[in-house]
Amino acid sequence: MSPAGPARDTRGVIVVATDVTRDYRMSGSIVRALRGVSLSIPEGDFLAITGPSGSGKSTLLHLLGGVDVPTAGNVRFLDRDLGSMSVEARASLRLREVGLVFQRFHLLPMLTALENVELPLAAVGLGPGERRARAEERLVRVDLGDRLDHRPGELSGGQRQRVAIARALANDPAIVLADEPTGELDRSTSRSVLDLFRRLNDDGTTIVVATHDLELAEGARRRLEVVDGRVEA
Amino acid sequence: MLARTSLRELRHRPLRTALALTGVAVATAMLVDMLMLGGGIQRSFEELLRSRGYELRLSPRGTLPFDTEATISGYAELRDALASVPEVAGVAPVLAYSISVETTDSPDEPQTSLRALALGIDPREQGLLRLLEGELPGSGEVLLDRRTIEETPLSVGDTVDLRVAGGLDVAARSGRARVSGIAEFVFSAREDRPIALPLEDLQSFSEMGDVVSFAMVRLTDGSEPDRVRADITARIDRVEVTTLTGIVTEANERLSYFRQLALILGSVSLVVTALLVGTIMAVSISERLGTIAALRAIGIPRMRILRALTAESLALCALAGLAGLGLGVVVAGVLEDILSDFPGLPQAVDFFVMRPSTLLLAYLLLLLVGAGAGLVPAWRATGLEVASLLHAEEP
Repeated sequence: MSPAGPARDTRGVIVVATDVTRDYRMSGSIVRALRGVSLSIPEGDFLAITGPSGSGKSTLLHLLGGVDVPTAGNVRFLDRDLGSMSVEARASLRLREVGLVFQRFHLLPMLTALENVELPLAAVGLGPGERRARAEERLVRVDLGDRLDHRPGELSGGQRQRVAIARALANDPAIVLADEPTGELDRSTSRSVLDLFRRLNDDGTTIVVATHDLELAEGARRRLEVVDGRVEA
Repeated sequence: MLARTSLRELRHRPLRTALALTGVAVATAMLVDMLMLGGGIQRSFEELLRSRGYELRLSPRGTLPFDTEATISGYAELRDALASVPEVAGVAPVLAYSISVETTDSPDEPQTSLRALALGIDPREQGLLRLLEGELPGSGEVLLDRRTIEETPLSVGDTVDLRVAGGLDVAARSGRARVSGIAEFVFSAREDRPIALPLEDLQSFSEMGDVVSFAMVRLTDGSEPDRVRADITARIDRVEVTTLTGIVTEANERLSYFRQLALILGSVSLVVTALLVGTIMAVSISERLGTIAALRAIGIPRMRILRALTAESLALCALAGLAGLGLGVVVAGVLEDILSDFPGLPQAVDFFVMRPSTLLLAYLLLLLVGAGAGLVPAWRATGLEVASLLHAEEP
């Protein structure tokens, strides 16, 4: 297998969730976070998953990216059943095919922006030279070409989120999944993140965003609302 | 790259890192000292015994050399009997006798008197001393201990009075001898002030007759001490014959509490290290659970994160270990000075024997324990369910 991972599915669908249910055990009782959700995400999509807090948006995002597996139903990612894969096989798939963006960025504070982006590239076995070149290119793509050697503590919230997006793009994934990416940002910075997502999507990147942010949701090509673990529209 | 992050993490929290380093260094010092002590004194004693080159010791039946005031009578007969054993290359007799040594009257110097252990030896065949200056004693001469020379105005060529105080069954006696030289008595304890003189002189002076306290036997090259021992025992039934190995075994048994003490305290120091490193790592890792979850979520392999976290605990132990080795050597020196006053032990015997292999063993044990202690919280953290952790970490 090359560092870029297995060959992409050519049928144009990145991920398909079929009748997915996810239960959690909390304090001895079962909490149903998702109830029979089905959806398909084609290549090039920009989908916003909205819904109130606790509705199951993040859970759905985690299932689509193979961070979690459903209690019932199945999720096929590039035509592979995530439920039948081992934890490490799913981790390997995520490393190569899924770019994850978190509300709290989760950058390593001891590393520079460039090193943070290099991290997933190093994990797939790229050598230092190629790693650096690709990380630099990703940071230039998110307009941080002049902040390569800055540590997260030296960057604004919006800049940190763009470093996180560059990290998500590092291994040229099939899909970028962002969980409340503007949750920690002010309005104008949120707008710049939306602009960046639109630009990336225009360039062909498939993006799914779970968000409360109506402006971000309206900026997506498609919108899907989750209420009480069910898809409303 | 992740490992580098972990090392930077240590630098990022200087106070916590400094405290952890100090704790591990102290525990390492204790471990080093216990490894040096455990077996150190036995090894040192064995090396001392073997360095003198006499493979057998003959003492009165049922005793060990220097273990009793009993003597072997009829030494000349014993020597002749030993000479008939083909493997015997030489016999070094020793007669021990308490004596008083006094400087002779001088108008310039106040008279000095000291209680000494006189050793009657055969100057041509002896294994108890190393000559430092002058000559081995001839008839009418004595050899003084280096410390006696340092503590008194005596020097080579001076004359001393030897005296035995009278008692109920001993008549007071005195004699005069010339100081022929200065020696280091390798088996003497720090508190002893030994002197050596020819065996015949001491036998005569003590009026004990043809006796010795014990004799050391040198064997020809290639002889088997156990076989010769059996041969001598069969020929001469009034002596106890002990091989060097037998003496070492006996010494090991008597000194076994040092080994047990070292084992217990060494183990305690390793447990302390494990708890210290484990606690520091558990705290540090729990503060970074969100980051670890995110790294797992983006697909960084578990082993890679484990390696990075283990590198952190290893770096901690590696740095602290180096400081601990140095500290351990210094502390061992101080303890050696204190313990060298231990009564009855030859001064040439060391309690703490420093060898590169001991230091290496301590360092490797430390790294092993440190890595293991760091691995436990790291293994737990990286094995937690990523989705649940992210739910907990993200608002």
